[in-house]
Amino acid sequence: MSQACHLRLKHALPVGVDASTLLPERLATLSIDEIARLPLELGRDLVAVGDLFDISLREADGVELRFEGDCRKLHGVGRAMGEGRLVVDGPVGDQVGVEMRGGEIQVCGDAGDLAGGAMAGGRLEIGGSVGDFAASTLPGAMDGMRGGVLIVRGDAGDRFGDRMRRGVAVVHGRTGDFLASRMVAGTIALAGETGEHPGHGMRRGTLVFAGAQPRVPDTFSATHHDTRVFWALMARSLAPFGAPFDGLAARCPARVVGDLGADGKGEWMLPA
Amino acid sequence: MAEPRIENGVVIDDTFAEAFPMKATRLIITAHNPTWAMHAATATTGFATSVIACGCEAGIERVLSPGETPDGRPGVAVLIFSMSGKELAKQIERRVGQCVLTCPTTAVYAGLDEGEPVALGRNLRFFGDGWQISKMIDGKRYWRVPVMDGEFVAEETTAVTKGVGGGNLLILARDTDTALAAAEAGVAAMRSVPNVIMPFPGGVVRSGSKVGSKYPALMASTNDAFCPALTPLAKKSELSDEVRCVMEIVIDGLTDADVSAATRAGMDAIIARGSAAGVVRLSAGNYGGKLGPFHFHLHKLLDGEGAA
Repeated sequence: MSQACHLRLKHALPVGVDASTLLPERLATLSIDEIARLPLELGRDLVAVGDLFDISLREADGVELRFEGDCRKLHGVGRAMGEGRLVVDGPVGDQVGVEMRGGEIQVCGDAGDLAGGAMAGGRLEIGGSVGDFAASTLPGAMDGMRGGVLIVRGDAGDRFGDRMRRGVAVVHGRTGDFLASRMVAGTIALAGETGEHPGHGMRRGTLVFAGAQPRVPDTFSATHHDTRVFWALMARSLAPFGAPFDGLAARCPARVVGDLGADGKGEWMLPA
Repeated sequence: MAEPRIENGVVIDDTFAEAFPMKATRLIITAHNPTWAMHAATATTGFATSVIACGCEAGIERVLSPGETPDGRPGVAVLIFSMSGKELAKQIERRVGQCVLTCPTTAVYAGLDEGEPVALGRNLRFFGDGWQISKMIDGKRYWRVPVMDGEFVAEETTAVTKGVGGGNLLILARDTDTALAAAEAGVAAMRSVPNVIMPFPGGVVRSGSKVGSKYPALMASTNDAFCPALTPLAKKSELSDEVRCVMEIVIDGLTDADVSAATRAGMDAIIARGSAAGVVRLSAGNYGGKLGPFHFHLHKLLDGEGAA
């Protein structure tokens, strides 16, 4: 049996807290006292985990960490996580799941900016909406999301998938401006509308517009060849994400490629 | 040879087929309709009867319904066997490159999940001259190569596993007609068994071979002990005067259990037709048990046991 750790916020956080050191695999072998003594950065101060959270442990089938309470000022949750399961029973702050390599993170509420930034593996699911730069690069970095699966049940802000290099990102709501800007590879599937300038500077990769069809920019051109084999594989892969992605196989898509303004070969799939 | 056994009038020799370890893979070829999938599969498995001179042994395992293929189109599963992983990789690339990539509307996928990965579309992608597209879908990499009918989709690698090659069954009959009919019935029964192929034309070989030759340059030569023309001449003939035609079914399988099951299925089908259908004996080819680690004893197979 493994250990599940529950951290319940004692009171609302006055300022942001970097929670990136609290990972399921790290806490799995520690006692309550050891966890309580772990340091956290609260603004410019150091505090102990036990000062902010009520801690409880129980046996579980797998390694698990659960945050309870209003965690909107808890940032960096699950950063570079490698294994196990992490659950946030509500909203969470910025940079959830950045650079994660494996395991599963489930956020039941909204998430801040940079959700899944530079994530390389695992599964990150946001029950609500995410801010800007989800699945994108971290400040100063060259690569965005480069592996794993990101699911956003709500809406996403601007620059979703900026410089994305690999992996699958699914948005059930709408996205803001500059969707998939400078995208290098990978797949983004969108159920709702998107904002201005989608695919700006897109080099490669696939954008699937399962819902509202965007206006195709002048820097994208249609191809008219038979893509049914690829589409069958892609549609089958996206079907488990539920409506409207589960009906894609029956909707033969139009395909445009670009951004030709950046010598790009990215593709938009526009199912009828 | 020990005591024979008689089933429905057919003598079953107390002997065994001797088989060898090989490297194997399964490819799934799909196309716009079953006809073109079969065209590609037939070409891919052509000139692949024996590793002696073909580089590999290959055959069509079975036809796949759209529900069984990765892209939901009609397909064909083929098995390819070779003596080494390196030779198998070479054969896969050549055959898929010349026979699947070229065939209208086709796509090709790995048909095994477990095993050492070797290139399938990984090198064929360069036919795309830079226009090829890589796509990761559910953890598998596919290559999409622009071609004149659209795009050729190929999975990057296919898994190579250990296989068993050289299982065999010898059908000793009164004449050509009865030998052919028995062999066809045996092959039909074997084709219902998964994970096996019978790589010779129609699944049957009439030029069974022994190891070596009087000519030093040849590694194999005619199996004189089973040639009716040599019954009175060969130093050691296995035939009686009533046997005037012998056919052999060679079986390659992914495991020894698969070869056992196919051999048993073929024997059952031939025995069910009985001696009245012209079959005198069933036998098997071996090299004294010193060369191949898989021994398929005919009597044990009839008793429900597998390979020794």
